[in-house]
Amino acid sequence: MKPPPFEYHRPAVLEEALEFMAEHGDQAKPLAGGQSLIPLLAMRLVRPSHVVDLHRVAELRQISVADGRLRIGAMARQRDLEHDPRMPGLVRAAIPHIGHFQIRNRGTVGGSLCHMDPAAEWPAVALALDAVMVAASVRGRRELAADDFMLGPQLTGLEPDELLVEVIVPVRDEGFGFAEVTRRGVGDFALVGAACQANAVAVFGTGPRAQRLTAVEDFLDSGGGTRAEVLALAATEIQATDDLHTSSRYRREVAARLVGAVVAASRTPGGLP
Amino acid sequence: MGLTGTHVGCEQGACGACTVLADGEAVRSCLMLAVQAEGMQLTTIEGMGAPGRLWDLQAAFLRHRAFQCGFCTPGFLASAAEILGSGRRYSREELRDLLSGNVCRCTGYEPIVEAVFECQ
Repeated sequence: MKPPPFEYHRPAVLEEALEFMAEHGDQAKPLAGGQSLIPLLAMRLVRPSHVVDLHRVAELRQISVADGRLRIGAMARQRDLEHDPRMPGLVRAAIPHIGHFQIRNRGTVGGSLCHMDPAAEWPAVALALDAVMVAASVRGRRELAADDFMLGPQLTGLEPDELLVEVIVPVRDEGFGFAEVTRRGVGDFALVGAACQANAVAVFGTGPRAQRLTAVEDFLDSGGGTRAEVLALAATEIQATDDLHTSSRYRREVAARLVGAVVAASRTPGGLP
Repeated sequence: MGLTGTHVGCEQGACGACTVLADGEAVRSCLMLAVQAEGMQLTTIEGMGAPGRLWDLQAAFLRHRAFQCGFCTPGFLASAAEILGSGRRYSREELRDLLSGNVCRCTGYEPIVEAVFECQ
């Protein structure tokens, strides 16, 4: 199918984009890499009156480090972050799993976090890294913790007039682990996955949105235990759903195993189970 | 422009038949609005080799019988162009993973992987 009719806008600077969103935000969809939005448009699952292409807004692609925090512009491409040595190990471990390299050549971190596909890697990585999302509008900027930003599929804590402009992650040199299971190998959507950074643990693909496993984290904070204990605890905490791809039982059991694996990996150099 | 070599497949970014090079990087043309290509250098299959002057990989595809109906082929060549352009030597397993973003219904993939492997 072809997209429904819409007006296309291409602001040159952030100010212009925010002014447009203030005026038309409730009828507009921002266009980042297009790897998720354009399929939605093609399938007519969304029908925005306006599409706001952010590619010209250079400010949104900047990456900087200050005060022990890594500030990643929302329009930073997956492919650029994949090879950026400033990125935390967990980010560089997760990104190669995002689609295929052709998708990563256009797709952006901001786009992934705003699209909030239940099987996406970035939401779980953001949770495990205690990432903070910066929302901007003509009214100013505000920061949202990842858990407050990420509400559900295609649902974020952004107001209609806001754009996600930056993702901030603390710079910490800690053990990490990342794993996902797909049907066909790299490139396919994850059936389930897990991310771990120090004692922070999140799963994805299990339900409507990535889930932070606070009971598992408390267990690790209090000294942890065997891999089997971590796995068993994760299995009770994970909220899993059935869908046409696989069952909730599969999700729960496999995700729990992945949790055991990524926690173990975070305790060993290299980080990959 | 009449360049019909790039094919329309799934229109969702999954099959890879539409893959072209934008500023040397393989992208899904079905996931780019035409206006977004402004200022970029686009390379389609028509820009890869020419009759009588085939690009190495095109010649390898012929030798290995790496296409049958040919519908997926321009997309594979665009993806392979970026892979080969990296200058790195990948194993067949790694190439299989790298090429998994392009779907073929005819060949069973082995001759495609062999052709790309040979051209590294």
